[in-house]
Amino acid sequence: MIFSKKTKTLQYSVEICTKCKNMLKRRYAKGDILFASASKCKCGNIMQIAMIFGEEHQL
Amino acid sequence: MTPVNFTDFDAEEFFGFNDDTSMFMMLVWILPVVIFVLYGQRIQLYITSTEIKKSIKKLDAYRDESKTELVQYLREHYGQKIDHDTRVDRLLDYFTIHPVDIDPHGIVPKIRHVVRSREEYTRRNIISIIPDLDEDQVNNIQTLLEVATTLQMLYKIVNHLFLTAKKQKNYPLILPLQMMLPFIMEEAVALRKSIPAFRQSQPVGDSIGPMIVGSMMLDLKKHDIAFQTVMSSTVFEDRTLVLLKARGPSSTVGRLADALDSVMQTKKFDAIIMIDAALKMEGEDSATVSHGFGAAIGGIGTERFEIEELATQNHIPIFSTIVKQSVKEALTLMTREIAEKADDIRQQIYDTIRTNTKPGQAIVIMGVGNTVGIPQ
Repeated sequence: MIFSKKTKTLQYSVEICTKCKNMLKRRYAKGDILFASASKCKCGNIMQIAMIFGEEHQL
Repeated sequence: MTPVNFTDFDAEEFFGFNDDTSMFMMLVWILPVVIFVLYGQRIQLYITSTEIKKSIKKLDAYRDESKTELVQYLREHYGQKIDHDTRVDRLLDYFTIHPVDIDPHGIVPKIRHVVRSREEYTRRNIISIIPDLDEDQVNNIQTLLEVATTLQMLYKIVNHLFLTAKKQKNYPLILPLQMMLPFIMEEAVALRKSIPAFRQSQPVGDSIGPMIVGSMMLDLKKHDIAFQTVMSSTVFEDRTLVLLKARGPSSTVGRLADALDSVMQTKKFDAIIMIDAALKMEGEDSATVSHGFGAAIGGIGTERFEIEELATQNHIPIFSTIVKQSVKEALTLMTREIAEKADDIRQQIYDTIRTNTKPGQAIVIMGVGNTVGIPQ
């Protein structure tokens, strides 16, 4: 236990454009749901939330 | 070789009685022996007790935290007026009696009946505490309640075993508890850390099966096939695919066996493919994918029994794909490693279909696991 480092899980959502495969990783926002429509891509297409995950970061 | 002469054995010299420091030396090495012979078990009991007490304290804190989180969730979402504490307390103490299994014939329907009655009872109670809830909200509250109930049960069992051993001053009684405690604590920590994900309806590691099948269902017509379970049909390289998963995005595992039974009554199938999360062994990497045979579905075993029965009666092979993860990963917010495997696994499923079935055949694909945060 004395050697264990404290970590914090940060939540992320990843948006993907189904047309140009552009990927955007951002912090999870309340209400994000997998496969839901998200922001607008550079190509004009609406991106889709493809992943919601947590990543552990050392404090 | 000189033989040892035991006749001139001097007991006084041996014990050091004729030495100047004799009394002191005797105490130094004889007293601890006497103490350990007489009180060894008690000393061990005392040392082990200190360790176990720390774990019990943690379990107590987890139990309180989970209950507070649940009550807070109810207050935040559904108003302050209702006396949630008392009602929740009553629900937390509900127990389920396992049916008698001296004669195992017919035990599965009995277990299923008891478990489903309990689920139904909990749902009705949640609705009675807060009327006007929709099904998704009831599911989420039910899961948080399950987490709190499990933590309460773990605390009570560990505390009971500890106090019994202490009361009887019986060291061997505490040994099984000492051996099991690290595993119990691992599960308790995982349950405690699962609360934020369930509160926010985020996908957990166990959701990988529904996530893959959910992505295959996108843009397809879906309809309810069993309690909280949806199905879709599609065509892949001249094969009919029937996709089954729990209805998301609220926290539920659906009733996949009932759904399989329903689809099998209308169509003949040539293969069943199941995708599920599975516990990894120590030393195995997280998010590794394995393929095998047999029904990959957890729980108390009734669903697996039914799926195996249906597959056997209809001579259908069951192919399984599992994604390995730890207890903590399965219950908490999905990790990046697991989430990134979804596309790859989907392609592997298509490969399994190509290799093991012929054009014109029909296949059922089941996404097994909790569908929290995963719509379709």
